[in-house]
Amino acid sequence: MRIGHFKETYVSDQAVFATATSRFWLGILFALLLLFPFVAGDYLLFMANLAGITIIGAVGLNILTGFAGQISLGHAAFIGVGGYTAAILATRFNLPFLICLPLSGLMAAFFGIIVGGPSLRLKGLYLCIATLAAQLILEFVFVHWESVTGGIRGINLSPPEICGYVLDNDFKYYFLTLAMVILCVTAARNLFRTRVGRAFIAIRDRDISAELMGINLLRYKLYAFAVSSFMAGLSGCLWVNFLKTVTPEHFPLMESVRYLAMIIVGGMGSILGSIFGAIFMTIVPEAISTVLGLLVNTFPTAMSFLFPLQQVIFGLLIVIFLVFEPHGLAEIWRRIKNYFHLWPFEH
Amino acid sequence: MKKSIILALVISLALFLTLGVSFADEVIKVGAGQPITGRFAFAGKHIHQGLMDSLGYANEQGGVGNKKFKYIYEDTGYDLKRAIASFKKIMAQEKPPMMYGESTGVGKAMAPEINSRYHVLYGSTSFSEELSDRQKNPYIFVSGPTYAQQFGVLLKYIAGQPKKNNKPHRVAFFYSDTEFGRDPIPFARKLAKKLGIEVVAEEVTKVGAVDITSQLLDLKRNKPDYCIFQGYVVPPIPEVIKGAKDFGLDITFMGTFWAMSKMLLDKLGPDAEGYMGVSPYSYWYMDEFPMIQAIRTYSEKHHPDVTYRPNSYMQGWFTGMIYVKLSKMCHEAGLPITGENLKDMIPKVKDWDTGGLSGVVSFAGSNATGMGKVYKAQNGKFVPVSDWIRLDE
Repeated sequence: MRIGHFKETYVSDQAVFATATSRFWLGILFALLLLFPFVAGDYLLFMANLAGITIIGAVGLNILTGFAGQISLGHAAFIGVGGYTAAILATRFNLPFLICLPLSGLMAAFFGIIVGGPSLRLKGLYLCIATLAAQLILEFVFVHWESVTGGIRGINLSPPEICGYVLDNDFKYYFLTLAMVILCVTAARNLFRTRVGRAFIAIRDRDISAELMGINLLRYKLYAFAVSSFMAGLSGCLWVNFLKTVTPEHFPLMESVRYLAMIIVGGMGSILGSIFGAIFMTIVPEAISTVLGLLVNTFPTAMSFLFPLQQVIFGLLIVIFLVFEPHGLAEIWRRIKNYFHLWPFEH
Repeated sequence: MKKSIILALVISLALFLTLGVSFADEVIKVGAGQPITGRFAFAGKHIHQGLMDSLGYANEQGGVGNKKFKYIYEDTGYDLKRAIASFKKIMAQEKPPMMYGESTGVGKAMAPEINSRYHVLYGSTSFSEELSDRQKNPYIFVSGPTYAQQFGVLLKYIAGQPKKNNKPHRVAFFYSDTEFGRDPIPFARKLAKKLGIEVVAEEVTKVGAVDITSQLLDLKRNKPDYCIFQGYVVPPIPEVIKGAKDFGLDITFMGTFWAMSKMLLDKLGPDAEGYMGVSPYSYWYMDEFPMIQAIRTYSEKHHPDVTYRPNSYMQGWFTGMIYVKLSKMCHEAGLPITGENLKDMIPKVKDWDTGGLSGVVSFAGSNATGMGKVYKAQNGKFVPVSDWIRLDE
């Protein structure tokens, strides 16, 4: 139980983790995250890497859609731009991974700014369609610009190397992913303590009043696109280096939709929500299939309808979550936390 | 008293554990991530059933060296991420010496780790050229000819046909804008040139395209004698064939493995007559072959309600036969059945009689069989019009 938390200075009011309790639990979480790879097998590490890479992408999309209110259906394509940039720089120019990583982010950000251009004139569903066009165009480019992207066969690359240390398995890669997730999440969280982040929120809440307050709409909308795509690019670079191959099939329109679903399920306009959403969309289908797999082993004849059931259960779970908590998993988490703040005294 | 109980418990536990170990030694594990649901389920569930039945059949025949095969599978939903996850899961939990996987994409994504870490024999649904390259991917095999080789079989067949008015054969390629569609095209262009066949048109569409008017007009303009489809399962093949008929075009349409199913013939109805193509396997109704007989007998025994098994089932069954064959070769050479040893056996497969399910197989130059038979549709069934055509001859 925790009582009497008073914010007596501006610094304490601004603190991200305001109380000793939250810092304590955060410490525990870090310790567990660092311990995790030593106890987990290949499979769990793969899932953890996947979830981590997805978190970075989801945080990026949440900045654009959840915080700045600009819907994007082109997120997977930006991830793709990052991925291809990383693969091309690594294979054609033999650049080291640590240089490829920021460059893929920057390249994706550049494309993000171009695609974000129409956002000054287009809002809501119209912007959605404009970003959809970007997704389709970029997907087309991935497939057809064969001399650069390797066309449909894509590009294979060797495992990334950092200071002579080759990250060639899930265990080693985990630490890179973890570091990047911490970096991106911290950056994103801090963004909303700055003028830029607050401007995003103002634009989302009412663009006209934001403009009246002196916020340059075009500039800040483009910032939002740039930051969001930058993270998408990082996520793409990590993804491609993780799989050591890239083909256009990794970045379909459905992937963009999946990212949107992630931030909606997790909680729009919440960094924590993006993390929950990404983990939910990555881990839950696996968990369902594991449970069903066990059932199938027990009742082999039921296979024909048990396997297709996964999609149905997953879909139902999303609907149920949204019906009971439209603000997403982050809100559920907040309620659980609040309950324990005063536990065991309810009132 | 107490001590003796504990001692007895310890001994029985130890016995139980050693028994467990010896039981575990009695099986040869085959892992599989199968696309039982998702976009590819129409074939995935049959491939899965075929592989499972093939291993079951091998077990009924006594397995390999008194060891039985154990088939461990997961559904991947034809999703790259899930497929890789299930690959790693099975490898971590069961450590099988043999794995099966879906799609070219998964094979390519897993290839570096298969070569460097897992050292596991890997078969898949894919007929991709890249995966059959023995130098690059020694652990990976293709259970049939690659798409390029299938195209090769068709082009070789065409080259052997009498020419119209003594002019070179005119061929069109009709393919989808996917890896599956584009994979064999560069090779096919080269081979056509070598065989003196003129490629007069190349039509590219999206998968499942419905509007194919412009492609039809292009076919009408270029008047090919043959048109080969690649990268489709059903649509838009029926639309193209019907459209060509409406235009009064005299074109022989052909397909590769995935476009050689009963499903397509049923969809085509009367237009199916004369449709041709290449397949690496014999069909369910060709019961003059001993292996097809064995498949049907096995089916009658274990799945009495089944009346037909499609060609994807045959692919699964044939892949199972390769697993069994390589395991037997390891056993006969006195080697333990490990991924490493199984891999070394692939190039040693020579003149292997597959009981008519496929031809006489040798993995000579690459980890693909490099052979197929040309079939023609008659009365809703495929009838062979050639013998096994080998590409490496």
